[in-house]
Amino acid sequence: MAEELNIQSDAETIDDKEDSLNIERCLTFESGGLLMYMSTKYVNEIINEQIITALPMVPPHIKGIINLRGSILPVLDICMLMGKESAEYTNKTCIIVLNIGSDSVGIIVDKVRQVIDIDLSVAQSIPLRNQQKLTNGMLTLDTNEVAMSLDVNSLIPTQMM
Amino acid sequence: MDNGMEGMLDTYLLETEGLLDRLDEMLIADEKVGDFSTDDVNEIFRIMHTIKGSSAMMEFNSLSVIAHHIEDLFFYIRDKGIDTLSTEQKKELFNLMFRSEDYLRSGVDKVKNGEPLEENHDEFNASINDFLKKISNSGDDSLEETSEGADGQSPVAAADSLTITNLPDDPKAEVFCHVYLEEGVGMENLRAFMIVNAVRESEIEFRYYPSDMDSNPSTAQAIIDEGFYFAFDSSEAANKAELVLREQPHILSYEFINASKAKETPMPEQQPEEIVEKQPAPQAAQKQEAPAQKQAENKSQPQQKQSAPVKQSLISVNLQKLDSLNDLVGEIVITESMVTSSPVLKLLPQESMDTFMKSARQLRKLTDDLQDISMSLRMVSISGVFQKMNRIVRDMKQKLNKDVKLTIIGEDTEVDKTIVDSLQDPLMHIVRNSMDHGIEETSEERIAAGKNPQGELILSASHNSSEVIISVTDDGYGMDPEKLLDKAEEKGILTKPRHEYSKKEALGLIMLPGFSTNQQVTEYSGRGVGMDVVKKNLESVGGTISITSELGEGSTFTMKIPLTMAIMDGMKVMVGDTIFTIPIANIRSSFKIDNAEVILDENGNEMVERLDTFYPIVRLKDFYHINGLYDDLKDGVLIWVEAGDRSCCLFVDDLIGEQQVVVKPLPQYFNPYNLKDYGINGCSILGDGNICIIIDVLGIYNQAVENT
Repeated sequence: MAEELNIQSDAETIDDKEDSLNIERCLTFESGGLLMYMSTKYVNEIINEQIITALPMVPPHIKGIINLRGSILPVLDICMLMGKESAEYTNKTCIIVLNIGSDSVGIIVDKVRQVIDIDLSVAQSIPLRNQQKLTNGMLTLDTNEVAMSLDVNSLIPTQMM
Repeated sequence: MDNGMEGMLDTYLLETEGLLDRLDEMLIADEKVGDFSTDDVNEIFRIMHTIKGSSAMMEFNSLSVIAHHIEDLFFYIRDKGIDTLSTEQKKELFNLMFRSEDYLRSGVDKVKNGEPLEENHDEFNASINDFLKKISNSGDDSLEETSEGADGQSPVAAADSLTITNLPDDPKAEVFCHVYLEEGVGMENLRAFMIVNAVRESEIEFRYYPSDMDSNPSTAQAIIDEGFYFAFDSSEAANKAELVLREQPHILSYEFINASKAKETPMPEQQPEEIVEKQPAPQAAQKQEAPAQKQAENKSQPQQKQSAPVKQSLISVNLQKLDSLNDLVGEIVITESMVTSSPVLKLLPQESMDTFMKSARQLRKLTDDLQDISMSLRMVSISGVFQKMNRIVRDMKQKLNKDVKLTIIGEDTEVDKTIVDSLQDPLMHIVRNSMDHGIEETSEERIAAGKNPQGELILSASHNSSEVIISVTDDGYGMDPEKLLDKAEEKGILTKPRHEYSKKEALGLIMLPGFSTNQQVTEYSGRGVGMDVVKKNLESVGGTISITSELGEGSTFTMKIPLTMAIMDGMKVMVGDTIFTIPIANIRSSFKIDNAEVILDENGNEMVERLDTFYPIVRLKDFYHINGLYDDLKDGVLIWVEAGDRSCCLFVDDLIGEQQVVVKPLPQYFNPYNLKDYGINGCSILGDGNICIIIDVLGIYNQAVENT
């Protein structure tokens, strides 16, 4: 059920650059039409095909709870957090299980891409200030695509409320 | 090798703690009756023997020595019969035993934390020996004089005996007996002391050297090298002692030396008057009965006891292993349902499909059983924690000189292991507070207040849907909200004008940091750190504490802690796609009604009449804003539930069935949403891996009926 992370390291990037680099392994994924990344240190595992039990009386972006080998995790739809329509469920849809501090949460994403090394020091802040709730940076990948950094701490309710 | 030692240490700690727990239990029970039963005396003897042996093996000498002394003490008591002790002495013995238990426990704790053991245990040893002397003397007064005499002289004598001459300096002695122990028996000084005790038991007057052999382990070397001495005032006594010595184990040889002769000639290697070589092997054959019997009592009984069926049916398991077992079983259950519901199976011919389903059903049954068992593994009874409170009440009763009866209710309530662990400290604080501040100082005061002179403390535990409820009730002073407010004002910890505080809020003040109503700080409570720590500890496991108190009648502290895992009988009900579980304990009945039976109030709230009383109807689908199947009350099912004195009817689509579920709390993530206020405070994983939500009837009632 758990899918092993497909790890492709980009060894060259490490060798060429200087000490001031802040290279981290990051997981890139797609959600709500955006390409996003976050450090793999938060990522516990990626699961798919999970039955989500809806929970009443919670904001709509909390899709419910799942049973991950006996422990109960909340599952968030980050599409809805970004004010978009709820994500459509396809066979590419999966849940990324994150450990943020003492909390474990799952986020629903449209598609998981791969793990790459990203130099976080080249990330820029997003020019439209104070409008983003979930993202806290952006950068251009080697593939010339622009990716947004997902701020995992924003997923914790105390920060959101 | 290191690993082996680690493992041994673990086993040692576990075993010793188990034994001490057992000892504690026995002491508490026996003290209530005020007497030791013969069985318990034997058991304590065996416990001490085992602790002595294993501590010596692990080279924790101070523990071994203490245990050894208690063993000796109980050896004596067992021999003489417990009834020879007066009530006073028994009382003293209880105190001594509790102190010993504490001493051993603190030693074990030190070992556990890797701290060095205290080497200085002489004082404690002395108190045990004093007691032994006292009880042995009350049977025989003449012995008292002897031992006193020995006490007076011993320091000089001991010093002299080791430095100047081999014979101890004892002017009164007629006959000395020089005893050598067998080589390599270990703990020579204690062996020697055991022999001394054995001789003393036959009511012979004597002194022994080195006289500090029982408390000073360094005498062991001297005893190995030079043997040890008895000093007798008459040759009759010496002859009597010889009879005893012959039967003692581990003696290599002994010889009697006439003191007057020895004094004439300064050389200690003077021809002894009489030499009796004791050949252990051949002699043992003749004297088989006595020593063998004694040895059997000493050594083999504890081992027999250990292999008794009660002890063997329990093993201890690392909690982490249990957790991973639970996880694995959960995965198996899910995988099983994935396999049996796989769409590929539809391609099978009907006949093969039937066979497959048959095996699948069997597999389902097995996995269900497996899951039940693995889930019940973590549950332990709360009695262990309560037992410890017993001990605290007992100690404080004595220290504070209050007469208090502790009543325990529901001690076999089973809760998750982690809860039991987190419960102990808060409970201890509350019990101490109640003993110290709650119960009246004197029984006169209680009589004046029209109460039973004996105070009462009630500890109770019970389950309630998804919480374990522990309450501590005392029938003491009770708390005066005004006094609490005065105090809080004085300390400047009031956060709003005084008159705005309700009684409940005033009582809650005692849980603020820095609040203590007692002017004097006592050993047990009054530092004002207790209750706020209790509150914090409880909150860290998601629990709450509430206080009720009537001035002059007593106070009750109620702790509610969600069960990380509690097994509960629940009724699964369906509302739309959502499955809820209602605790069976809350359900009175379920029924269908006609629309005509529904009664409306002015706001259109629905009610129904049952047994001549009207109950509000709560539609779960509206309450939780979810989509249900039916709007019409006659299509669905009403479930009449009650919690305490509150009762209402819940409207659901359908009943699914009854199931035992394991209650799990919701992730902490949901704390900010106050789901508890809406009657959701737990969930459960069903056999197929799906999750159902457990309903707290009281929460729904409060929200839906009282707040609308």
